[in-house]
Amino acid sequence: MIEVKHITKTYGKKQNTFIAINDVSFTIPNGKSVAILGKSGSGKSTLMHAMSGLDRPQQGQVVIDGRDILKLKSKDVDAFRAQKMSFIFQSFFVQANESCYDNVSLPLEIAKVPRSKRRQKVEAALSAVQLLDKKKSRARDLSGGQKQRLAIARAIVNEPDILFADEPTGNLDSTTGGVVEDFLFNYAKDRGATLIVVTHDEDLARKCDARINIKDGVIESTTGFAERPTKKKKVMG
Amino acid sequence: MKVADIIRRAGRSLRQAKTRTLLTSLAIGVGAFTITLSLAGGQGGRDYADAIVKSNTDVREVVVTKQTDETAVQEYDPDTAGLSLGAGTPGPAAASSGIEPITMTDIDQITEVEHVDSVTPNYSPQVNYITADGDNEFVVSSLSTFAPAVTLTYAAGGVDGELADDQIVLNEDYAEALGFASPEDAVDQTVTINATRQQTVFTGSPEAKDVDFTVVAVSSESGLAFRSQGSLLISTNAAKELYDYITEGTAAYNKFFIASVLVDDPENAGLVKTELENQGYSAQTAEDILGTINIFINVLLGILLGFGALAVLTSVFGIINTQYISVLERTQQIGLMKALGMSGGDVGKLFTFEAAWIGFLGGGIGAGLAVIAGTIANPYISDALGLGDIYLLIFEPLQVVGVVVILIIISILAGIFPALKASKLDPIEALRTE
Ligand SMILES: Nc1ncnc2c1ncn2[C@@H]1O[C@H](COP(=O)(O)OP(=O)(O)O)[C@@H](O)[C@H]1O
Ligand SMILES: [Mg+2]
Repeated sequence: MIEVKHITKTYGKKQNTFIAINDVSFTIPNGKSVAILGKSGSGKSTLMHAMSGLDRPQQGQVVIDGRDILKLKSKDVDAFRAQKMSFIFQSFFVQANESCYDNVSLPLEIAKVPRSKRRQKVEAALSAVQLLDKKKSRARDLSGGQKQRLAIARAIVNEPDILFADEPTGNLDSTTGGVVEDFLFNYAKDRGATLIVVTHDEDLARKCDARINIKDGVIESTTGFAERPTKKKKVMG
Repeated sequence: MKVADIIRRAGRSLRQAKTRTLLTSLAIGVGAFTITLSLAGGQGGRDYADAIVKSNTDVREVVVTKQTDETAVQEYDPDTAGLSLGAGTPGPAAASSGIEPITMTDIDQITEVEHVDSVTPNYSPQVNYITADGDNEFVVSSLSTFAPAVTLTYAAGGVDGELADDQIVLNEDYAEALGFASPEDAVDQTVTINATRQQTVFTGSPEAKDVDFTVVAVSSESGLAFRSQGSLLISTNAAKELYDYITEGTAAYNKFFIASVLVDDPENAGLVKTELENQGYSAQTAEDILGTINIFINVLLGILLGFGALAVLTSVFGIINTQYISVLERTQQIGLMKALGMSGGDVGKLFTFEAAWIGFLGGGIGAGLAVIAGTIANPYISDALGLGDIYLLIFEPLQVVGVVVILIIISILAGIFPALKASKLDPIEALRTE
């Protein structure tokens, strides 16, 4: 369970202060897929960074499985991310010069998975996105859709409980995007992992169990949540 | 991340930028090459100097002369008038050279000095000739005393400990001139030395005598020996006997220019030298001779090491530059790794190991090439300098490894700044795409 409590993130100082996220709260149960929907610049990525401990908002708590990750030491947050979370970005961020195998192996190395156990995991992840035959190819030789599938393999290889995807299909055409989405949702469903998709794409958001509409740093509305804790807090909007 | 994985990833990053890695390593390689060669040259030079000294002098020996103020006008002294260096040749040479003879009184006095084991005057009798068959007589340019502590190389035969009073060590030139087919043939043969007694007043035909010696060894030409090489060597007693025979009754009798002092321990040579100088003698230890040679070697070594250090210094900036650019180029990679949970410290280590790899590569290539080049060049250098089978470049494995290790450390130090930059990089900034 991810509990986001009163997160506020501002940029700049004094007169130039810009509030990117303003007192946002919500709760995501384990195993749900949630879309964070909003226009460009509305603060979706900022929210995701805060939820994953990549960023430290000025106020609020992010409680995952009972622990406030914003209070952890940076080393522990790193270890937490390495063990529990994964990311998929709009621009893939695969290492062009490295083989698909080495790309996928990276999170396992970071999580200190012994070498003997890596091979099987890497190959399973590559199989899941149907890239096993490209194991030895360099990532730069892949098409855009294949690169994002590789990124998914890298994201799922260490079997994370929480998967963050920031505009995962933003750089892909609808057909390849659809394939990529299927891989993502399949993993989440099979594993019972929590999937948080940041997007401005209504069609993608519709595939999720729940959605949070965000506008100018505040939650406009939510749908698909059993109880709607965020509705009450939305007074500030 | 495990260190082994970091090292592997660091190596892979470098392989992906082969040209840049190689060029950066090149500068450090030049440094490694120069430093390795200079160290080998220094080692070889010192060994060579050491060998020279061991082949020519005894480290326990202090050579003593008695020197007056050379520039001062000398009073005529009929006692020294007949004495000159090498003894025997009459003339005023001694007085003008500013050297006073060492007398038996001096020798007794020197013997009393602490740490002195023995004092032997330098008998170098001016004999007439040497012959093997009685017909062919050859001038003896130098007849010296044999010292067991001086290392000689022999073409044939050998000397076990001291030389007996009826034994002689020839050199190859004399062995050949005296008619022996080979140095081996000369060993155990008898040669005769003829000496003439000097006269103070001319009384007609001078008295002369023949002394027989058995050849025990023939010394060979060595790149090291400059004192013993040209000399025929006999025992101190035999030399004294000949010397006394030649000079007895003349002004030169029992007066010597050089005395050889044997010290109880080489450590005390300096002490004895100081004491002797206090007493008005002039003294020279083996270390004095070696010191001059070593200063020369060290200056040369210092210059070469300076060039090497300069190359290393240049390469330090090369490494900083390369690694800094690499960090800038790979911000996204760094950001991703951090997003995936890699700690800043591990990211720093990744770049540190890359710098270490560069140092290892450059150091290894440079030092390796130096060893190969030096090993190939050694015979040619020795040939050109006439050192015989002595090599001037001596590669100590530990020194070569040390050079590489130190260059790795220097590379790591050079990589600290870029590595720090990488470790502090903000992943959100790094992953921003717009
Ligand atoms: N480092 C920053 N400094 C200043 N403003 C920023 C910074 N990062 C993001 N912002 C601003 O915060 C707002 C939210 O950004 P972001 O979360 O990236 O939006 P989205 O992902 O919804 O497009 C934007 O207006 C953006 O300009
Ligand atoms: Mg965004």
